Amino acid sequence: MIEAIGLTKRYGTKTAVDDVSFTVAPGKVTGFLGPNGAGKSTTMRMIVGLDRPTRGTVVVNGRSYREHRAPLGEVGCLLDAKAVHTGRSAANHLAAMAATHGIGRTRVDEVIEMTGLRDVAGKRVGGFSLGMGQRLGIAAALLGDPRTLILDEPVNGLDPEGVVWVRTLVRAMAAEGRTVFLSSHLMSEMALTADHIIVIGRGRILADAPVAEVVAAAAGSAVQVRTPQPEAFEGLMAQYGARVTASGPGRFEVHGTTAPMIGEAAAAASITLHELTPLQASLEDAYLQLTAGEVEYHSSGDPSPLRAAAPALQTEGSLR
Amino acid sequence: MTALAATPAPVPPVAPARTTAQPVTFGRVVVGEWVKFRSVRSTVWTLVATVVLMTGFATLAAWGSTLTLEEQPAATGMNVAQLLSAGYQLGQLAVAVLAVLTITGEYSTGMIRSSFAAVPRRVPVLTAKALVVGVVVAVVTVATMGLSYLATMPFHDELEASFDLSSGETLRMTVGLPLYLVAVALLAFAAGALLRHTAGAITAVLATLLVIDNVVLLVPLRFFELISPFLPSAAGRRILFDEEMLASLDAVAEGATLTPWEGFGVLLGWVAVLLTLATIRARTRDA
Repeated sequence: MIEAIGLTKRYGTKTAVDDVSFTVAPGKVTGFLGPNGAGKSTTMRMIVGLDRPTRGTVVVNGRSYREHRAPLGEVGCLLDAKAVHTGRSAANHLAAMAATHGIGRTRVDEVIEMTGLRDVAGKRVGGFSLGMGQRLGIAAALLGDPRTLILDEPVNGLDPEGVVWVRTLVRAMAAEGRTVFLSSHLMSEMALTADHIIVIGRGRILADAPVAEVVAAAAGSAVQVRTPQPEAFEGLMAQYGARVTASGPGRFEVHGTTAPMIGEAAAAASITLHELTPLQASLEDAYLQLTAGEVEYHSSGDPSPLRAAAPALQTEGSLR
Repeated sequence: MTALAATPAPVPPVAPARTTAQPVTFGRVVVGEWVKFRSVRSTVWTLVATVVLMTGFATLAAWGSTLTLEEQPAATGMNVAQLLSAGYQLGQLAVAVLAVLTITGEYSTGMIRSSFAAVPRRVPVLTAKALVVGVVVAVVTVATMGLSYLATMPFHDELEASFDLSSGETLRMTVGLPLYLVAVALLAFAAGALLRHTAGAITAVLATLLVIDNVVLLVPLRFFELISPFLPSAAGRRILFDEEMLASLDAVAEGATLTPWEGFGVLLGWVAVLLTLATIRARTRDA
């Protein structure tokens, strides 16, 4: 269980995390989502006491991290895959960390085995690939068999097999009743892994809801319609105030209404429909809309259509 | 597999039975720091360098003394303690680099975040590191002195050298070398913890140990003359010198003259101040 209240972090005049409050509950995987520079890593570093909050508090399993007598048994964290001395072997790195908590050699070997590092455990970390570094970071996080797991971008640099492995691991940890808090800027990965997501942009929380709810609330939801009577259909929709965009000859995307309503209206007006398909917005769409105004560095010239969609979403009850 | 299908029924929060992690104690932190210390090559190599340089220099000094003896015979025999500490200048560089690397190596690689995540109170990490560095430097220095004694033995007769630990001066010079090198190592360690940068810290320490004395000597300001006896190296190394050497140093000195132990006390004062600052910095700054 992680509880943050009013967490704020300023670096000089720049506010990296701005009055953030949230709770990460045990027994499920909570995704922490946001563009690069949104404040994910800073928030995670404040949770484990590496960065001191400018304001606010955060407690893990009931206490602030530094008050725990055996921190590695409470929280395992992968904050930065590079948080390892490059001149030391993976096994020695883990052994040194284990020693501070009286964790035995057996457990060190166990996490080496679990993370598939056996063949490289004796090699110096400096020669590790990004993926092997990630595995070592995860091994270190698991060392104390912690009740809470905090992983910052765990799938970064992992091969597909590694990605599936991380997904299976965190789901298993959550199923055991542990708290799992996972950050990513990859929406697709979150959709597969997380039960609940917290979206952050420019240091503020944009959404904090179950994955399904965030998807459902996305303003991008539309209905695809095909009809041999395009003019009549467009006229009908105009009467209902629904927004219609043509996506092909005789094919439309209708926004602002639902498939059953379109079907009934068309039947009443004797308009033939050949297709009536609700288009579920992907989590990715939802995420892009939420963060459209919050990305620090835009790559495209004109993000305004997305930005325009964001306020509509803000009014949804389940989202903040 | 959709996100919805993957959502399991909420599991009541059950704390898994945990016997893995024991509470963090200072002893455990020391063990962890020892594992770290011995598992990096740079530490091993700087230690080897310390032993080789100091033993080599002691031997060279003994051999050199036999040559000067042929030109102008000395009235009294040589003190072996003086030979043993002949290489202190090189030795202090090696242990300073070693001490700096133990801490800046963690900052430059990011390892410090792993260390502070494991021991979030932080100060025990620094204390344990300083302890490991101090003990290793003391042990290696004593071992080096033993080696130097053996290496210089062939010259002892010719130099009429004696090693009499019942003499207060000889005893002071003998225990002085490990004490001085440990103090220098701790000074360098504190500088590394304060600056968090390998090259910066090594430069600062070398400047403090080697350069600053000469600079102060070159500038004939009264202020510099007053502070020069209290600079870390000038004060601390007095513990290594025999009375004859100290007398010749004091003959040209303008400021205060400290006894060997007072001088070493001043060096320890510098160490204490820097270690305190390093501790405060570690506690208050983000890692």
